[in-house]
Amino acid sequence: MEYDENGVSIVSNEFKKEIFEEAKKDFRYEEYVKGCLNCGVCTGGCPPHRFFDFSPRMVLQNCKSNDPELVWGMMDEYVWACFQCFTCAMICPFLNNPGGVIAILREISVRRGFESAKKVLKPYSRVLLKLTAYGNQLSPDMIQPDFFPDWGPHIGYASQDLPLKRKAIPMPTLQVTNLAWDVAPEAMKELYTIFEEAGVFKIIEVVDPALYEIIQDIVDDVRSE
Amino acid sequence: MAENILVIGGGPAGLHAAIELAELGVNVSLVERDTFLGGNPKKFKYKYLFPDLQPADDVIGELIRRTESNGNIKKYFSANIESFKEEGKKFNAVIKSDSGSETKTFDSIIVATGFEHFDPAKDSKYSYQLFDDVIDIKDLERMMGEGNFTRPSNGKTPKNVAFILCVGSRDRHVGNQYCSRVCCTVSVKQAIELREHFPETEVYIFYMDIRTYGFYEDLYWKAMEEHDVQIVKGRVAEITSGPDNTVICKGEDTLLRGPFEIPFDMVVLASGMEGGPQSPEMANKLGIELDEHGFLKYANVTLSPCKSNKDGIFLAGACTGPKAIADAIIEGGAAAMNAYIYAKKNS
Repeated sequence: MEYDENGVSIVSNEFKKEIFEEAKKDFRYEEYVKGCLNCGVCTGGCPPHRFFDFSPRMVLQNCKSNDPELVWGMMDEYVWACFQCFTCAMICPFLNNPGGVIAILREISVRRGFESAKKVLKPYSRVLLKLTAYGNQLSPDMIQPDFFPDWGPHIGYASQDLPLKRKAIPMPTLQVTNLAWDVAPEAMKELYTIFEEAGVFKIIEVVDPALYEIIQDIVDDVRSE
Repeated sequence: MAENILVIGGGPAGLHAAIELAELGVNVSLVERDTFLGGNPKKFKYKYLFPDLQPADDVIGELIRRTESNGNIKKYFSANIESFKEEGKKFNAVIKSDSGSETKTFDSIIVATGFEHFDPAKDSKYSYQLFDDVIDIKDLERMMGEGNFTRPSNGKTPKNVAFILCVGSRDRHVGNQYCSRVCCTVSVKQAIELREHFPETEVYIFYMDIRTYGFYEDLYWKAMEEHDVQIVKGRVAEITSGPDNTVICKGEDTLLRGPFEIPFDMVVLASGMEGGPQSPEMANKLGIELDEHGFLKYANVTLSPCKSNKDGIFLAGACTGPKAIADAIIEGGAAAMNAYIYAKKNS
Protein backbone atom coordinates (compact mmCIF):
# COMPACT_ATOMS: atom_id res chain seq x y z
CA MET A 1 0.00 0.00 0.00
CA GLU A 2 1.37 3.43 -0.97
CA TYR A 3 0.59 6.64 0.93
CA ASP A 4 0.54 10.30 -0.04
CA GLU A 5 2.16 13.14 1.94
CA ASN A 6 -0.85 13.26 4.30
CA GLY A 7 -0.57 9.57 5.17
CA VAL A 8 -3.62 8.72 3.08
CA SER A 9 -3.39 5.52 1.06
CA ILE A 10 -3.31 6.03 -2.71
CA VAL A 11 -6.20 4.40 -4.56
CA SER A 12 -8.04 5.10 -7.81
CA ASN A 13 -10.80 7.73 -8.05
CA GLU A 14 -13.24 4.95 -8.95
CA PHE A 15 -12.44 3.14 -5.73
CA LYS A 16 -12.92 6.29 -3.62
CA LYS A 17 -16.28 6.76 -5.28
CA GLU A 18 -17.22 3.14 -4.60
CA ILE A 19 -16.44 3.54 -0.88
CA PHE A 20 -18.43 6.77 -0.60
CA GLU A 21 -21.38 5.17 -2.41
CA GLU A 22 -21.20 2.23 0.01
CA ALA A 23 -21.41 4.62 2.95
CA LYS A 24 -24.32 6.54 1.44
CA LYS A 25 -26.18 3.31 0.75
CA ASP A 26 -26.08 2.41 4.45
CA PHE A 27 -29.61 2.64 5.86
CA ARG A 28 -28.40 4.92 8.68
CA TYR A 29 -26.60 7.46 6.48
CA GLU A 30 -29.62 9.59 5.63
CA GLU A 31 -30.60 9.79 9.29
CA TYR A 32 -27.08 10.77 10.37
CA VAL A 33 -26.30 13.43 7.76
CA LYS A 34 -28.66 16.41 7.67
CA GLY A 35 -27.88 20.13 7.23
CA CYS A 36 -24.77 21.83 8.67
CA LEU A 37 -24.03 25.54 9.16
CA ASN A 38 -20.56 25.11 10.66
CA CYS A 39 -21.62 26.28 14.11
CA GLY A 40 -18.89 24.07 15.61
CA VAL A 41 -20.88 22.97 18.65
CA CYS A 42 -20.06 19.30 17.92
CA THR A 43 -16.32 19.92 17.76
CA GLY A 44 -16.48 22.24 20.77
CA GLY A 45 -17.93 19.39 22.82
CA CYS A 46 -15.81 16.59 21.28
CA PRO A 47 -13.45 14.91 23.81
CA PRO A 48 -10.86 13.58 21.28
CA HIS A 49 -10.73 17.03 19.66
CA ARG A 50 -8.74 18.12 22.72
CA PHE A 51 -6.03 15.55 21.94
CA PHE A 52 -6.08 14.80 18.20
CA ASP A 53 -6.59 16.46 14.88
CA PHE A 54 -10.17 15.19 14.84
CA SER A 55 -13.28 17.28 14.30
CA PRO A 56 -16.83 15.93 13.97
CA ARG A 57 -17.68 19.15 12.12
CA MET A 58 -15.18 18.19 9.42
CA VAL A 59 -16.64 14.67 9.27
CA LEU A 60 -20.04 16.17 8.51
CA GLN A 61 -18.66 18.78 6.11
CA ASN A 62 -16.66 16.17 4.19
CA CYS A 63 -19.83 14.10 3.77
CA LYS A 64 -21.90 17.14 2.76
CA SER A 65 -19.26 18.07 0.16
CA ASN A 66 -20.23 14.98 -1.86
CA ASP A 67 -16.51 14.70 -2.72
CA PRO A 68 -15.33 11.04 -2.50
CA GLU A 69 -11.75 12.34 -2.20
CA LEU A 70 -12.52 14.10 1.12
CA VAL A 71 -14.36 11.07 2.51
CA TRP A 72 -11.54 8.73 1.50
CA GLY A 73 -9.09 11.05 3.25
CA MET A 74 -10.71 10.05 6.56
CA MET A 75 -10.60 6.29 6.02
CA ASP A 76 -7.01 5.53 7.08
CA GLU A 77 -6.42 7.23 10.40
CA TYR A 78 -9.06 9.89 10.90
CA VAL A 79 -12.02 7.59 11.56
CA TRP A 80 -10.11 5.76 14.30
CA ALA A 81 -9.53 8.92 16.38
CA CYS A 82 -13.24 9.13 17.35
CA PHE A 83 -14.13 7.90 20.87
CA GLN A 84 -17.67 6.92 19.76
CA CYS A 85 -19.07 8.81 22.76
CA PHE A 86 -21.76 10.48 20.55
CA THR A 87 -21.54 13.80 22.39
CA CYS A 88 -21.66 15.41 18.92
CA ALA A 89 -24.99 13.72 18.17
CA MET A 90 -26.39 14.83 21.52
CA ILE A 91 -25.67 18.53 20.99
CA CYS A 92 -25.91 19.13 17.22
CA PRO A 93 -28.82 21.56 16.65
CA PHE A 94 -29.56 19.90 13.30
CA LEU A 95 -29.61 16.40 14.89
CA ASN A 96 -26.64 15.30 12.76
CA ASN A 97 -24.72 12.29 14.01
CA PRO A 98 -21.02 12.58 13.02
CA GLY A 99 -20.13 9.72 15.41
CA GLY A 100 -22.68 7.57 13.61
CA VAL A 101 -21.07 8.41 10.25
CA ILE A 102 -17.74 7.32 11.74
CA ALA A 103 -19.32 3.99 12.75
CA ILE A 104 -20.51 3.45 9.16
CA LEU A 105 -17.05 4.25 7.74
CA ARG A 106 -15.32 2.01 10.30
CA GLU A 107 -17.60 -0.87 9.43
CA ILE A 108 -16.71 -0.47 5.75
CA SER A 109 -13.03 -0.42 6.67
CA VAL A 110 -13.39 -3.62 8.73
CA ARG A 111 -15.60 -5.42 6.21
CA ARG A 112 -13.12 -4.71 3.44
CA GLY A 113 -10.12 -5.54 5.61
CA PHE A 114 -8.30 -2.24 5.09
CA GLU A 115 -4.78 -2.09 6.53
CA SER A 116 -5.77 0.64 9.00
CA ALA A 117 -8.56 -1.54 10.41
CA LYS A 118 -6.18 -4.47 10.87
CA LYS A 119 -3.64 -2.25 12.61
CA VAL A 120 -6.19 -0.71 14.94
CA LEU A 121 -7.87 -3.98 15.88
CA LYS A 122 -4.62 -5.87 16.56
CA PRO A 123 -4.32 -4.83 20.25
CA TYR A 124 -7.89 -5.95 20.80
CA SER A 125 -7.32 -9.54 19.62
CA ARG A 126 -7.48 -10.87 23.20
CA VAL A 127 -10.80 -9.16 23.76
CA LEU A 128 -12.10 -10.33 20.39
CA LEU A 129 -11.11 -13.89 21.24
CA LYS A 130 -12.90 -13.87 24.60
CA LEU A 131 -15.92 -12.16 23.17
CA THR A 132 -16.47 -14.37 20.14
CA ALA A 133 -15.41 -17.68 21.73
CA TYR A 134 -17.06 -17.30 25.15
CA GLY A 135 -19.34 -14.26 25.09
CA ASN A 136 -17.31 -12.51 27.79
CA GLN A 137 -15.35 -9.34 27.18
CA LEU A 138 -12.82 -9.36 30.02
CA SER A 139 -11.70 -12.05 32.44
CA PRO A 140 -9.36 -12.12 35.48
CA ASP A 141 -6.60 -13.99 33.61
CA MET A 142 -6.34 -11.11 31.15
CA ILE A 143 -4.93 -8.94 33.93
CA GLN A 144 -1.25 -9.30 33.07
CA PRO A 145 1.53 -6.77 33.71
CA ASP A 146 2.41 -6.44 30.01
CA PHE A 147 -1.11 -5.42 29.03
CA PHE A 148 -1.83 -2.96 31.81
CA PRO A 149 1.28 -0.81 32.27
CA ASP A 150 -1.00 2.12 33.16
CA TRP A 151 -2.10 0.34 36.34
CA GLY A 152 1.30 1.07 37.85
CA PRO A 153 3.16 -1.12 40.36
CA HIS A 154 -0.07 -2.71 41.66
CA ILE A 155 -0.50 -4.75 38.49
CA GLY A 156 2.04 -7.31 39.68
CA TYR A 157 0.07 -8.03 42.84
CA ALA A 158 -3.26 -7.89 41.04
CA SER A 159 -2.23 -10.56 38.54
CA GLN A 160 -1.12 -13.15 41.14
CA ASP A 161 -3.10 -15.84 43.00
CA LEU A 162 -6.19 -15.22 40.92
CA PRO A 163 -8.25 -18.28 42.03
CA LEU A 164 -7.76 -17.36 45.69
CA LYS A 165 -8.69 -13.73 45.12
CA ARG A 166 -11.78 -14.76 43.17
CA LYS A 167 -12.92 -16.87 46.12
CA ALA A 168 -12.49 -13.88 48.42
CA ILE A 169 -14.99 -11.79 46.45
CA PRO A 170 -18.18 -11.80 48.57
CA MET A 171 -20.51 -12.61 45.67
CA PRO A 172 -20.87 -15.66 43.45
CA THR A 173 -18.20 -15.53 40.71
CA LEU A 174 -18.65 -19.21 39.82
CA GLN A 175 -14.97 -19.64 40.69
CA VAL A 176 -13.56 -19.23 37.17
CA THR A 177 -10.55 -17.12 36.24
CA ASN A 178 -10.50 -17.57 32.48
CA LEU A 179 -13.96 -15.99 32.23
CA ALA A 180 -15.97 -13.37 34.08
CA TRP A 181 -18.52 -16.09 34.85
CA ASP A 182 -19.02 -19.70 33.86
CA VAL A 183 -20.72 -19.77 30.47
CA ALA A 184 -22.93 -22.76 29.66
CA PRO A 185 -22.02 -24.60 26.41
CA GLU A 186 -25.62 -24.15 25.20
CA ALA A 187 -25.23 -20.38 25.50
CA MET A 188 -21.93 -20.49 23.62
CA LYS A 189 -23.45 -22.56 20.81
CA GLU A 190 -26.30 -20.08 20.43
CA LEU A 191 -23.78 -17.27 20.35
CA TYR A 192 -21.83 -18.97 17.55
CA THR A 193 -25.01 -19.27 15.49
CA ILE A 194 -25.67 -15.55 15.98
CA PHE A 195 -22.07 -14.61 15.06
CA GLU A 196 -22.23 -16.81 11.99
CA GLU A 197 -25.58 -15.42 10.81
CA ALA A 198 -24.50 -11.83 11.47
CA GLY A 199 -21.23 -12.28 9.59
CA VAL A 200 -19.02 -11.60 12.62
CA PHE A 201 -16.78 -14.64 12.04
CA LYS A 202 -16.39 -13.64 8.40
CA ILE A 203 -15.21 -10.15 9.41
CA ILE A 204 -12.63 -11.61 11.82
CA GLU A 205 -11.39 -13.92 9.06
CA VAL A 206 -10.79 -10.82 6.90
CA VAL A 207 -9.01 -8.63 9.49
CA ASP A 208 -7.13 -11.31 11.48
CA PRO A 209 -6.87 -14.78 9.84
CA ALA A 210 -4.65 -16.20 12.65
CA LEU A 211 -7.14 -15.19 15.35
CA TYR A 212 -9.94 -16.64 13.23
CA GLU A 213 -8.19 -20.06 13.24
CA ILE A 214 -7.90 -20.06 17.04
CA ILE A 215 -11.54 -19.07 17.49
CA GLN A 216 -12.72 -21.71 15.03
CA ASP A 217 -10.82 -24.42 16.94
CA ILE A 218 -12.66 -23.46 20.15
CA VAL A 219 -15.97 -23.29 18.29
CA ASP A 220 -15.44 -26.79 16.87
CA ASP A 221 -14.51 -28.16 20.31
CA VAL A 222 -17.58 -26.69 22.03
CA ARG A 223 -19.89 -27.85 19.24
CA SER A 224 -18.58 -31.41 19.31
CA GLU A 225 -19.04 -31.76 23.10
CA MET B 1 -74.72 51.94 17.11
CA ALA B 2 -71.05 51.52 17.90
CA GLU B 3 -69.29 48.29 17.07
CA ASN B 4 -68.05 45.96 19.82
CA ILE B 5 -64.62 44.47 19.34
CA LEU B 6 -62.73 42.17 21.68
CA VAL B 7 -58.95 42.50 21.96
CA ILE B 8 -57.22 39.63 23.78
CA GLY B 9 -53.80 40.59 25.15
CA GLY B 10 -52.49 43.91 26.48
CA GLY B 11 -48.98 43.90 25.02
CA PRO B 12 -47.67 46.30 22.33
CA ALA B 13 -49.84 44.80 19.54
CA GLY B 14 -53.03 44.55 21.60
CA LEU B 15 -52.65 48.03 23.09
CA HIS B 16 -52.06 49.66 19.71
CA ALA B 17 -55.03 47.81 18.19
CA ALA B 18 -57.26 48.86 21.12
CA ILE B 19 -56.21 52.52 20.84
CA GLU B 20 -56.77 52.68 17.06
CA LEU B 21 -60.21 51.08 17.36
CA ALA B 22 -61.21 53.28 20.28
CA GLU B 23 -60.26 56.36 18.28
CA LEU B 24 -62.58 55.14 15.50
CA GLY B 25 -65.39 55.14 18.09
CA VAL B 26 -65.48 51.37 18.64
CA ASN B 27 -66.34 49.92 22.06
CA VAL B 28 -63.25 47.93 22.86
CA SER B 29 -63.04 45.19 25.49
CA LEU B 30 -59.38 44.60 26.35
CA VAL B 31 -58.71 41.31 28.12
CA GLU B 32 -55.37 40.98 29.92
CA ARG B 33 -54.26 37.85 31.82
CA ASP B 34 -51.90 39.85 34.09
CA THR B 35 -52.74 42.59 36.55
CA PHE B 36 -51.06 45.28 34.44
CA LEU B 37 -50.82 46.45 30.83
CA GLY B 38 -47.69 46.38 28.64
CA GLY B 39 -47.08 42.66 28.14
CA ASN B 40 -43.61 41.14 28.26
CA PRO B 41 -41.75 44.47 27.79
CA LYS B 42 -43.39 45.70 31.01
CA LYS B 43 -43.26 42.37 32.86
CA PHE B 44 -39.52 41.96 32.29
CA LYS B 45 -38.76 45.70 32.53
CA TYR B 46 -37.16 46.20 29.13
CA LYS B 47 -35.06 49.34 29.33
CA TYR B 48 -34.01 50.43 25.83
CA LEU B 49 -35.50 49.28 22.55
CA PHE B 50 -33.51 48.69 19.37
CA PRO B 51 -32.71 50.06 16.85
CA ASP B 52 -32.42 53.63 18.17
CA LEU B 53 -32.05 52.76 21.89
CA GLN B 54 -35.03 54.89 22.88
CA PRO B 55 -36.30 54.27 26.41
CA ALA B 56 -38.90 51.48 26.47
CA ASP B 57 -41.09 53.68 28.63
CA ASP B 58 -41.42 56.19 25.77
CA VAL B 59 -42.99 53.44 23.69
CA ILE B 60 -44.73 50.99 26.04
CA GLY B 61 -45.48 53.65 28.66
CA GLU B 62 -47.05 55.84 25.98
CA LEU B 63 -49.25 52.99 24.72
CA ILE B 64 -50.40 52.26 28.30
CA ARG B 65 -51.16 55.91 29.02
CA ARG B 66 -53.22 56.28 25.84
CA THR B 67 -55.12 53.08 26.62
CA GLU B 68 -55.85 54.09 30.18
CA SER B 69 -57.09 57.55 29.25
CA ASN B 70 -59.46 56.37 26.50
CA GLY B 71 -63.05 56.01 27.68
CA ASN B 72 -63.93 53.64 24.80
CA ILE B 73 -61.64 50.91 26.13
CA LYS B 74 -63.00 48.66 28.86
CA LYS B 75 -60.10 46.85 30.52
CA TYR B 76 -60.32 43.44 32.21
CA PHE B 77 -57.39 42.30 34.39
CA SER B 78 -56.41 38.80 35.60
CA ALA B 79 -58.82 37.89 32.87
CA ASN B 80 -59.48 35.07 30.46
CA ILE B 81 -62.14 33.98 28.03
CA GLU B 82 -64.12 31.44 29.99
CA SER B 83 -66.40 30.35 27.20
CA PHE B 84 -66.82 31.27 23.59
CA LYS B 85 -69.58 30.70 21.04
CA GLU B 86 -70.17 31.81 17.47
CA GLU B 87 -73.60 33.13 16.66
CA GLY B 88 -74.09 33.90 12.98
CA LYS B 89 -71.45 36.46 12.12
CA LYS B 90 -71.04 37.50 15.77
CA PHE B 91 -69.27 36.04 18.78
CA ASN B 92 -70.53 35.51 22.33
CA ALA B 93 -67.84 35.40 24.99
CA VAL B 94 -67.84 35.08 28.76
CA ILE B 95 -65.01 37.18 30.18
CA LYS B 96 -63.88 36.13 33.63
CA SER B 97 -61.73 38.69 35.44
CA ASP B 98 -60.91 40.07 38.87
CA SER B 99 -64.22 41.95 38.70
CA GLY B 100 -66.33 38.84 38.05
CA SER B 101 -67.88 37.24 34.97
CA GLU B 102 -69.44 39.15 32.10
CA THR B 103 -71.14 37.90 28.95
CA LYS B 104 -70.75 40.05 25.86
CA THR B 105 -71.43 39.91 22.14
CA PHE B 106 -68.67 41.02 19.75
CA ASP B 107 -68.62 41.91 16.07
CA SER B 108 -65.01 40.80 15.68
CA ILE B 109 -62.00 39.71 17.70
CA ILE B 110 -58.29 40.48 17.72
CA VAL B 111 -56.00 37.88 19.30
CA ALA B 112 -52.70 39.40 20.50
CA THR B 113 -51.61 36.91 23.13
CA GLY B 114 -47.89 37.34 22.47
CA PHE B 115 -45.02 35.01 23.25
CA GLU B 116 -43.04 33.53 26.13
CA HIS B 117 -39.27 33.90 26.60
CA PHE B 118 -37.57 30.53 26.06
CA ASP B 119 -36.48 29.07 29.40
CA PRO B 120 -32.72 28.37 28.96
CA ALA B 121 -32.84 25.77 31.76
CA LYS B 122 -34.49 23.52 29.16
CA ASP B 123 -31.12 23.21 27.37
CA SER B 124 -28.77 21.71 29.94
CA LYS B 125 -25.54 22.50 28.09
CA TYR B 126 -25.80 26.15 29.09
CA SER B 127 -25.91 25.48 32.86
CA TYR B 128 -28.55 28.17 33.41
CA GLN B 129 -29.74 28.11 37.03
CA LEU B 130 -26.67 25.99 37.85
CA PHE B 131 -24.24 28.91 37.94
CA ASP B 132 -25.38 32.29 39.28
CA ASP B 133 -23.33 34.17 36.70
CA VAL B 134 -25.11 32.57 33.74
CA ILE B 135 -28.11 34.78 32.95
CA ASP B 136 -30.17 35.44 29.83
CA ILE B 137 -31.04 38.54 27.81
CA LYS B 138 -34.32 39.16 29.63
CA ASP B 139 -32.50 38.94 32.99
CA LEU B 140 -29.87 41.39 31.73
CA GLU B 141 -32.55 43.71 30.39
CA ARG B 142 -34.20 43.74 33.83
CA MET B 143 -30.83 44.33 35.55
CA MET B 144 -30.07 47.25 33.23
CA GLY B 145 -33.61 48.55 33.70
CA GLU B 146 -33.22 48.49 37.48
CA GLY B 147 -29.75 50.00 37.20
CA ASN B 148 -27.97 47.20 39.06
CA PHE B 149 -25.82 45.37 36.55
CA THR B 150 -23.37 43.31 38.65
CA ARG B 151 -22.30 39.69 38.87
CA PRO B 152 -25.05 37.79 40.72
CA SER B 153 -22.39 35.68 42.46
CA ASN B 154 -20.48 38.50 44.18
CA GLY B 155 -22.06 41.84 43.29
CA LYS B 156 -18.97 43.06 41.42
CA THR B 157 -18.65 44.44 37.89
CA PRO B 158 -17.54 41.61 35.55
CA LYS B 159 -14.15 41.80 33.82
CA ASN B 160 -15.56 40.03 30.78
CA VAL B 161 -18.95 38.95 29.52
CA ALA B 162 -19.90 36.41 26.83
CA PHE B 163 -23.13 36.56 24.84
CA ILE B 164 -24.26 33.24 23.36
CA LEU B 165 -26.70 33.51 20.47
CA CYS B 166 -29.43 31.12 19.30
CA VAL B 167 -30.26 29.70 22.76
CA GLY B 168 -33.54 27.83 22.34
CA SER B 169 -33.75 28.79 18.67
CA ARG B 170 -32.63 26.97 15.51
CA ASP B 171 -32.13 23.80 17.51
CA ARG B 172 -33.99 20.56 16.84
CA HIS B 173 -33.00 19.25 20.28
CA VAL B 174 -35.07 21.86 22.11
CA GLY B 175 -37.84 21.54 19.52
CA ASN B 176 -37.56 25.06 18.10
CA GLN B 177 -36.28 24.95 14.56
CA TYR B 178 -37.10 28.58 13.79
CA CYS B 179 -35.01 31.74 14.18
CA SER B 180 -36.41 34.04 16.89
CA ARG B 181 -35.43 37.08 14.77
CA VAL B 182 -34.80 39.62 17.52
CA CYS B 183 -32.24 37.98 19.86
CA CYS B 184 -29.21 38.84 17.68
CA THR B 185 -30.18 42.50 17.60
CA VAL B 186 -31.09 42.58 21.29
CA SER B 187 -27.75 40.95 22.19
CA VAL B 188 -25.74 43.37 20.04
CA LYS B 189 -27.70 46.26 21.53
CA GLN B 190 -26.98 45.00 25.05
CA ALA B 191 -23.30 44.44 24.19
CA ILE B 192 -23.06 48.10 23.13
CA GLU B 193 -24.85 49.24 26.30
CA LEU B 194 -22.44 47.21 28.47
CA ARG B 195 -19.40 48.62 26.68
CA GLU B 196 -20.78 52.16 27.03
CA HIS B 197 -21.53 51.84 30.76
CA PHE B 198 -18.60 49.59 31.71
CA PRO B 199 -15.70 50.37 29.34
CA GLU B 200 -13.37 48.13 31.37
CA THR B 201 -15.55 45.08 30.68
CA GLU B 202 -14.58 42.97 27.66
CA VAL B 203 -17.55 41.72 25.66
CA TYR B 204 -17.62 38.64 23.40
CA ILE B 205 -20.45 37.41 21.19
CA PHE B 206 -20.45 33.76 20.10
CA TYR B 207 -22.63 33.15 17.06
CA MET B 208 -23.74 30.59 14.52
CA ASP B 209 -24.99 33.40 12.26
CA ILE B 210 -25.56 37.05 13.14
CA ARG B 211 -29.03 37.98 11.94
CA THR B 212 -29.32 41.70 12.59
CA TYR B 213 -31.60 41.99 9.58
CA GLY B 214 -32.30 45.14 7.58
CA PHE B 215 -31.14 48.40 9.12
CA TYR B 216 -30.27 46.64 12.39
CA GLU B 217 -27.03 45.73 10.61
CA ASP B 218 -25.91 49.27 11.57
CA LEU B 219 -25.90 48.21 15.24
CA TYR B 220 -23.78 45.17 14.51
CA TRP B 221 -21.14 47.16 12.64
CA LYS B 222 -21.20 49.81 15.34
CA ALA B 223 -20.58 47.15 18.01
CA MET B 224 -17.40 46.07 16.19
CA GLU B 225 -16.17 49.42 14.96
CA GLU B 226 -16.97 51.74 17.84
CA HIS B 227 -17.18 49.44 20.85
CA ASP B 228 -14.60 46.75 20.15
CA VAL B 229 -17.01 43.89 20.82
CA GLN B 230 -15.29 40.58 20.01
CA ILE B 231 -17.49 38.58 17.63
CA VAL B 232 -16.52 34.91 17.33
CA LYS B 233 -18.03 32.30 14.99
CA GLY B 234 -18.79 29.17 17.00
CA ARG B 235 -21.73 27.91 19.01
CA VAL B 236 -20.78 27.18 22.64
CA ALA B 237 -20.98 23.45 23.39
CA GLU B 238 -20.69 23.50 27.14
CA ILE B 239 -20.57 25.87 30.11
CA THR B 240 -18.70 24.66 33.15
CA SER B 241 -17.18 26.15 36.28
CA GLY B 242 -13.71 27.70 36.09
CA PRO B 243 -11.00 28.98 38.41
CA ASP B 244 -11.44 32.16 40.50
CA ASN B 245 -15.22 32.03 40.46
CA THR B 246 -15.50 32.10 36.66
CA VAL B 247 -17.60 30.13 34.20
CA ILE B 248 -15.83 28.52 31.26
CA CYS B 249 -17.33 28.61 27.79
CA LYS B 250 -16.12 25.68 25.73
CA GLY B 251 -16.52 25.57 21.98
CA GLU B 252 -14.87 25.79 18.59
CA ASP B 253 -13.90 29.02 16.86
CA THR B 254 -14.65 27.61 13.43
CA LEU B 255 -12.91 30.39 11.51
CA LEU B 256 -9.76 31.33 13.35
CA ARG B 257 -8.58 29.79 16.60
CA GLY B 258 -10.09 26.32 16.63
CA PRO B 259 -11.04 24.88 20.01
CA PHE B 260 -11.38 27.34 22.87
CA GLU B 261 -12.07 27.24 26.60
CA ILE B 262 -12.43 30.80 27.87
CA PRO B 263 -13.22 31.74 31.49
CA PHE B 264 -15.82 34.50 31.80
CA ASP B 265 -17.12 36.45 34.77
CA MET B 266 -20.58 36.41 33.25
CA VAL B 267 -22.44 34.66 30.43
CA VAL B 268 -25.59 36.07 28.83
CA LEU B 269 -27.77 33.60 26.90
CA ALA B 270 -29.72 35.04 23.98
CA SER B 271 -32.82 32.99 24.66
CA GLY B 272 -35.44 33.10 21.94
CA MET B 273 -39.22 33.34 21.77
CA GLU B 274 -41.83 30.60 22.08
CA GLY B 275 -45.56 30.51 21.40
CA GLY B 276 -46.18 29.71 25.05
CA PRO B 277 -49.16 27.83 26.53
CA GLN B 278 -51.55 30.65 25.60
CA SER B 279 -51.27 29.91 21.85
CA PRO B 280 -52.73 26.36 21.94
CA GLU B 281 -55.23 27.59 24.54
CA MET B 282 -56.48 30.30 22.15
CA ALA B 283 -56.47 27.86 19.23
CA ASN B 284 -58.65 25.47 21.24
CA LYS B 285 -61.04 28.04 22.63
CA LEU B 286 -61.62 30.06 19.48
CA GLY B 287 -61.27 27.20 17.00
CA ILE B 288 -58.36 28.79 15.10
CA GLU B 289 -55.26 27.06 13.76
CA LEU B 290 -51.88 26.54 15.38
CA ASP B 291 -48.76 26.20 13.22
CA GLU B 292 -46.06 23.52 13.54
CA HIS B 293 -43.88 25.88 15.61
CA GLY B 294 -46.47 26.44 18.32
CA PHE B 295 -47.63 29.91 17.19
CA LEU B 296 -51.04 30.93 15.81
CA LYS B 297 -51.36 30.52 12.06
CA TYR B 298 -52.09 33.21 9.47
CA ALA B 299 -54.75 32.45 6.87
CA ASN B 300 -52.35 33.67 4.18
CA VAL B 301 -48.93 34.84 5.23
CA THR B 302 -48.49 37.21 2.28
CA LEU B 303 -51.95 38.41 1.37
CA SER B 304 -53.70 38.63 4.74
CA PRO B 305 -51.17 38.37 7.54
CA CYS B 306 -53.60 39.60 10.17
CA LYS B 307 -56.39 37.11 9.47
CA SER B 308 -56.82 33.79 11.21
CA ASN B 309 -58.41 30.89 9.39
CA LYS B 310 -61.75 31.89 10.91
CA ASP B 311 -63.74 34.88 9.57
CA GLY B 312 -63.97 37.71 12.08
CA ILE B 313 -60.98 36.62 14.19
CA PHE B 314 -57.76 38.52 13.55
CA LEU B 315 -54.18 38.07 14.76
CA ALA B 316 -51.53 40.60 15.75
CA GLY B 317 -48.06 40.65 17.26
CA ALA B 318 -45.80 37.88 18.47
CA CYS B 319 -48.62 35.32 18.84
CA THR B 320 -48.02 34.53 15.15
CA GLY B 321 -44.23 34.24 15.44
CA PRO B 322 -41.17 35.98 16.89
CA LYS B 323 -41.01 39.64 15.97
CA ALA B 324 -39.73 43.03 17.07
CA ILE B 325 -41.90 45.45 19.06
CA ALA B 326 -42.05 47.83 16.09
CA ASP B 327 -43.47 45.06 13.89
CA ALA B 328 -45.94 44.00 16.61
CA ILE B 329 -47.26 47.57 16.80
CA ILE B 330 -47.66 47.77 13.01
CA GLU B 331 -49.60 44.51 13.08
CA GLY B 332 -51.79 45.83 15.89
CA GLY B 333 -52.82 48.69 13.59
CA ALA B 334 -53.36 46.41 10.61
CA ALA B 335 -55.46 43.98 12.64
CA ALA B 336 -57.52 46.89 13.99
CA MET B 337 -58.31 47.98 10.42
CA ASN B 338 -59.26 44.41 9.43
CA ALA B 339 -61.41 43.90 12.52
CA TYR B 340 -63.13 47.28 12.00
CA ILE B 341 -63.99 46.53 8.37
CA TYR B 342 -65.41 43.13 9.34
CA ALA B 343 -67.48 44.63 12.16
CA LYS B 344 -68.75 47.46 9.93
CA LYS B 345 -69.86 45.04 7.19
CA ASN B 346 -71.79 42.82 9.56
CA SER B 347 -73.37 45.24 12.00
